[in-house]
Amino acid sequence: MTAPFLDINGLTKDFGGLRAINHVTFAMGRQEMVGLIGPNGAGKTTLVRLICGILKPDKGKVSFKGRNITGLKTWDVVNRGIAATFQNMRPFRRLPIIANVMVSCLSPRAMKRGEWVKRVEAKAMDALEFAGISDMALEKASTLSQGDLKRLEVARAVATEPELLILDEPFGGLSPAETDLMAKSIQRLHKGGRFGRLHSEGPAMIIIEHKLQQLMKIVDRIIVLNFGTVIADGTPEEVVKNPEVIEAYLGEGGA
Amino acid sequence: MSLVTAHLRRAGVIFRNEVLVLPSRIAVLVFILGLLLLPVFTQDSYILRILILTSIFALLAASWDFLSGFTGQMNFGHALFFGVAAYSTALLNLHLGIPPWGSIPLGALGGVLAGLVVGIPCLRLRGAYLALTTLSFPIILMGVVFAIPDISGGELGISGLARLSESRVGDYYISVLLMLVLSFAMWKVTDSKTGIILHAIREDELACRAAGINTTRYKLMAFCVSGFLAGISGGAYAHVMRLAGPSTLEVAMSFQVIIWAVFGGMVSIYGPVAGVFILFPLMELLRFIPQARMLVFALLVLVTLLYMPEGLIPWIRDKIETVCPRCKARNVASRSNCRVCNAVLD
Repeated sequence: MTAPFLDINGLTKDFGGLRAINHVTFAMGRQEMVGLIGPNGAGKTTLVRLICGILKPDKGKVSFKGRNITGLKTWDVVNRGIAATFQNMRPFRRLPIIANVMVSCLSPRAMKRGEWVKRVEAKAMDALEFAGISDMALEKASTLSQGDLKRLEVARAVATEPELLILDEPFGGLSPAETDLMAKSIQRLHKGGRFGRLHSEGPAMIIIEHKLQQLMKIVDRIIVLNFGTVIADGTPEEVVKNPEVIEAYLGEGGA
Repeated sequence: MSLVTAHLRRAGVIFRNEVLVLPSRIAVLVFILGLLLLPVFTQDSYILRILILTSIFALLAASWDFLSGFTGQMNFGHALFFGVAAYSTALLNLHLGIPPWGSIPLGALGGVLAGLVVGIPCLRLRGAYLALTTLSFPIILMGVVFAIPDISGGELGISGLARLSESRVGDYYISVLLMLVLSFAMWKVTDSKTGIILHAIREDELACRAAGINTTRYKLMAFCVSGFLAGISGGAYAHVMRLAGPSTLEVAMSFQVIIWAVFGGMVSIYGPVAGVFILFPLMELLRFIPQARMLVFALLVLVTLLYMPEGLIPWIRDKIETVCPRCKARNVASRSNCRVCNAVLD
């Protein structure tokens, strides 16, 4: 039997007396696009940080393509093919936007892939083109609006050419029209192929999002977290009918 | 012959289109030519000696900028690299008889070792904690120097080193060329793809790691490169002064480097170099009015930092040049259209 693409087993993380992630277990396949939802403070971002190696779990194991990646350094995890965006955007503010993306293009993983090794600038430009902000490539990142910073985050993650892409609230701060555009870009990326010099492996995706309507249109599976525990896992249709999920979102008696 | 002509013509075109178009580049050219031609006009021993020391300290300030300005690793103990290399060079020269061309680079390897010794424990530290930790290293070493006077010479230091060269003019050219070539090399590195990664580490180390960059490796590299170059200046200093003493490790030396760099303009390499070339000779001039020396120095630095927070050189540069809003190329402030894309300038 082949090992699952991403296997999270009994992951637990405490912050002092607070259990932020409580024995979370799930697996996902290479082709899957999974939505991760839950009320504020449910532990979604913490879970992502545990997968990426930004935080170390107290218990449990994360395996990627059959290899244990628990406790590895963040850059090592990224170079094995997992990229994530930050919910609270963290651009290199004083650098031009293109240089922000060039940093990702200079990672060992991105440098090893494809024949465009020497064309880092061109590849970064194509990542910006994909995210829809190539016209601002030479501006400082500090001049970007919230929505454009979101796109920059996506461009930076995509530029590492990941096999698993974790997007933390990709639609946050975007207008409805921009949200639709971003959703289409994400679907296009998931299908794989070339975007200019940028190659997409067709990454599996975990998308954290509060805009549930848009999320349900693009994902085929949703995992719901509440108080650090998985309370539902299934297709979008199954999840919205789950009484536990309705209670978590609307409170007791909300159903 | 035609190949030579073609190359010369190409160099001429680059010179005309890339150097002569911006006052800052013309200023750099004049500065370099002035330094190289100075001994033709004067061989005054005192002036040459001041400029030799200025060049050595300019390299030291630029190496601090590489580590603290570009990579953001705030080093308050840069004198460590300078002092370790000065002592290593002195010991190699005196006890093993290695001439300056060998003892300076070997002594600078002592600076690299010091870079690793400081860099590894400081990998986890940031901001004020990093600054305070780095500050402590030269103080610790100073204690060690006084504890082993048989080897270090104690308070008097190690004296009697070989001269850097046979003549003062030779010393001058070695120091100036070392400073120009190594500062240019540093500037090239910071302008390269590696430079982008160093910038990114300074801006947000976690985001840099999340982009797949092994920041530990780059930070240690920055400590080692900075240690090596500060070591070269330390070694050259020891041979020029023919002495390696505890003054090379003093806290005042570490702070002096920071003041020069901040005054000239951090994150530029040329800013700290210019900072030293303005402040160090000025301090020498003020030696004639000792009562006012520190007061003038403090006022000058204070006014600069108040009105030019990015440093003197970037301030002047922004006054005489503008950035094109479209293509970001720099233009002379008097131009109304961009020299590259012809966009209208503000």
